[in-house]
Amino acid sequence: MSISKQCEAQKQLSQLRSQFLKRLPIELNSLKAIAENLNERGFDIATLNELHHRLHKLSGSCGTFGVPALGQATRILEIRLQAWIEDSSVEIDDKARQSIVRDIGALNSVIRTPENHSAATLTMTPDLPSDKTIRVWLIEDDAAFEQELVRQLESFNFQVHFFNSIRDAETAAQFERPDLLIMNVLLHRPSEQDSILLQDRITLKSLDCPLLFVSSTDDFNSRVRAARLGAEGYFVKPVDITVLINRMMQVLEKRRAPPQRVLIIDDDRDLAAHYQLVLTVAGMQAEVLQQPEVVMTKIANFRPEIILLDLHMPNFTGIDLAGVIRQYDEWSGLPIVFLSSESDFDIQILAMGQGADDFLMKPISDAQLIAATRARIERARRLTSLIAKDSLTGLLKHASIKEAADLETAQAQRNSKPVSIAMLDIDNFKLVNDTYGHAVGDNVIVSLAMLLRQRLRHSDIIGRYGGEEFAAVLPECDQADAYRLLDDIRNQFANIRFRHRSHQFNCTVSIGLADSAHFPRLIGTELLAIADHALYQAKREGRNRTCIARTIV
Amino acid sequence: MSTCQRILYVEDEPDIQTVAKLALEMVGGFTVKTCSSGEEALDEAADFMPDLILLDVMMPGMDGPTTFNRFREQPIAAKIPIVFMTAKIQPSEIAYYKSLGAIDVIAKPFDPMTLADQIRIIWEKREQNVHFQAM
Repeated sequence: MSISKQCEAQKQLSQLRSQFLKRLPIELNSLKAIAENLNERGFDIATLNELHHRLHKLSGSCGTFGVPALGQATRILEIRLQAWIEDSSVEIDDKARQSIVRDIGALNSVIRTPENHSAATLTMTPDLPSDKTIRVWLIEDDAAFEQELVRQLESFNFQVHFFNSIRDAETAAQFERPDLLIMNVLLHRPSEQDSILLQDRITLKSLDCPLLFVSSTDDFNSRVRAARLGAEGYFVKPVDITVLINRMMQVLEKRRAPPQRVLIIDDDRDLAAHYQLVLTVAGMQAEVLQQPEVVMTKIANFRPEIILLDLHMPNFTGIDLAGVIRQYDEWSGLPIVFLSSESDFDIQILAMGQGADDFLMKPISDAQLIAATRARIERARRLTSLIAKDSLTGLLKHASIKEAADLETAQAQRNSKPVSIAMLDIDNFKLVNDTYGHAVGDNVIVSLAMLLRQRLRHSDIIGRYGGEEFAAVLPECDQADAYRLLDDIRNQFANIRFRHRSHQFNCTVSIGLADSAHFPRLIGTELLAIADHALYQAKREGRNRTCIARTIV
Repeated sequence: MSTCQRILYVEDEPDIQTVAKLALEMVGGFTVKTCSSGEEALDEAADFMPDLILLDVMMPGMDGPTTFNRFREQPIAAKIPIVFMTAKIQPSEIAYYKSLGAIDVIAKPFDPMTLADQIRIIWEKREQNVHFQAM
C-alpha cells in the first residue's frame, strides 16, 4: 500500500468519523425516546427488538469509529436486552425496566461530559503492529534547539516531525496524529503566543495526545496557562534532554496502561449491570459475577485488580466470600471493597476484620463509584511496581528479572520457541561517576534504561541487574534477531550526548548474548550466567561491542 | 494458487459499509460489491462472481447464518468461501460458524487499516490448506 493511498484512506476515515460523531447525539436521543416508551407502554417485544437492534448497530459503529467506551457501554446494554428477548421466562419487573430505561438515557452523558471526553475520543487508527516508533511533533522556531532536540530524540528512536509554526502543525493535523506534542510556549514572534493561541486551536486540541511545553521563560503565569491546557510537563531552556525524555516516557506509559479490571459481585442483577456500565464508560473493564460458588475460577481467569462485593446476598454473605478469597496466598493482596447499605458499625468492623479493605455506603453516586474504584486500583498498581521495580529506572529488580528469565525459558521449551537473553554493562561507568558526579551517572543509567524500553517489544522483559548492569529477556526472538537488535541499540547508545555543565561526553555499552537454541537444556538463570560470560568477553575484547555465547564456560 | 480480488460484502449498517468498502478498496486494493441484506446478496452473487463473501452475522430479516445456508444451496455460489463478521466473539460461537463451513470469523469492530491484511492472511491460510489436502 502506498503512503499516499494510506494518507487518503486515513483522511476519508476521519471525515466519516466526524460525521458519525455529529450524528451521535441525535441517535442517542432517539434511543432514549424509544426506551422511554417502555415506561409508558410496558414491555412489548417489538420495542425491545428495536432497541436491541439499534444498540447492536451503535455498538459496532462506536467500535469502528474509535469511541470504545461508548461502544462497550452499548454492548453491555445490548446483552442485557438480548437475555430478555431470548428467554421469555425471565421475570421483568418494574425495577428492572426503570433501570434499563435510565441506563439507556444516561448514554448521552458519555459523550457530553468533558471528563469522559478523552475516553470517548481515542485515536481511530492504532499503530501498525510492526511499527512501534513513537511519533513526536515539535513546534519550535529556535533552529539550534530544534536540531539538537531532534537529534537526541531520534537516538532514542522517536520519530520527530518538526513544525515552524502552529499553523503548519494544524495543516498536518488534518491528516495524521502524533503520539506526543512538544511546543514552545513563547515563539519568538510576539503575536504567536502559543499557550494563548492554543485555546482557540480546535484542531490541535482534538489531537488528544499528551502535551509538553518548552520555554525560555519560567514565570508562574505561563506555568498556570500550561497547566490549564493540560500540559503534562513544562521544561525551561536549556533543557536537559534526558530529563525531558524521561517525562515523555512516563506520560506515554501512563496512557498505554491497560484498562483497570473490576469484578462486581452482587445478587441484584440490575444494580450490578448498572455498576458495570458506569465503570465501563469510565474506561475500565468490568465484569459481573452472579454465582459466588465459582468466584475463584472467575478471579483466576479475569484477574481483577479490585472486587466490589455486596455484603448481603442469599446463601453466602460478602464476608464469607472475602474470607474464602483471603485463604489463597495469591489473592491475599487483592483489594476487596464492600458495597452495602449497612449502617451498623459493628458489622462494618467485622467485615474489615475478614479481609475487606474498605466499605462504601449504598446508594453510591456514579462519580463516587468511579473515583473510589480508580484510586484504589491505581494505588495497588503503584505498590506492585514499587515492590518489583527499580526506583531509578522503573525496570525490574534483580530478583524479578531472574524469575522472569526462568519463566520465559520454561515457556519457550514448552512451545519449542526460541528465547534470547542479554546482559549489558555500561563501559567505564566508574569514570563517569568520578568525573561528573553521581547525578550525571544516574542520568546515563536512566538513558540506557529508556533506550531499552523504547527499542524492545512490550513482551520483552528488561531489568536493572546491578549498578550499571542490565538484563533483557527476549521471548520468541532467535540469536540472529537478538544480535541485530541489541547491536543496533549499542550503536544508538554511543550516539547519545550527555551534558554536564559545559562539558559534553558520550558513553558506550558492552553486551553479552545467550539463546535457548544453542543451550536448550539450560534454565533462565543459567542462560543469564552464560550471557554474563559473553559480556566479559566483550569487555576483554575492547568494550563497545556485542558478543555471543557459543559454549558453556 | 488462486488470488482473492473480488469481494462481496454483506452488511446492513451504512456507516460500517462505507468504512469497510474504503478499507478493502483503498487500503487493500480489492474490488468490492456491497449489499445491504442477505436477499440482495443472493441476487447479486451470480452476476458479480466474487472470490470471497464477507457476511455480517446479525442483520434484520435474513441473518448471516441463514444467508450462508442459502448461498450453499445456490449451484453457482456454493463453493465460494465465506467469512463471517461478528461482534460476538465467544469461542463457542466462532466454533459454531466454522462448523457451518465458514472459512473464518472476523471480530467486529475491525480496524480499517488492517482489515485487508486480515483477509489476505485468512485467504493464504485457506490456500495452503486446500493445497495441502490436494497433496
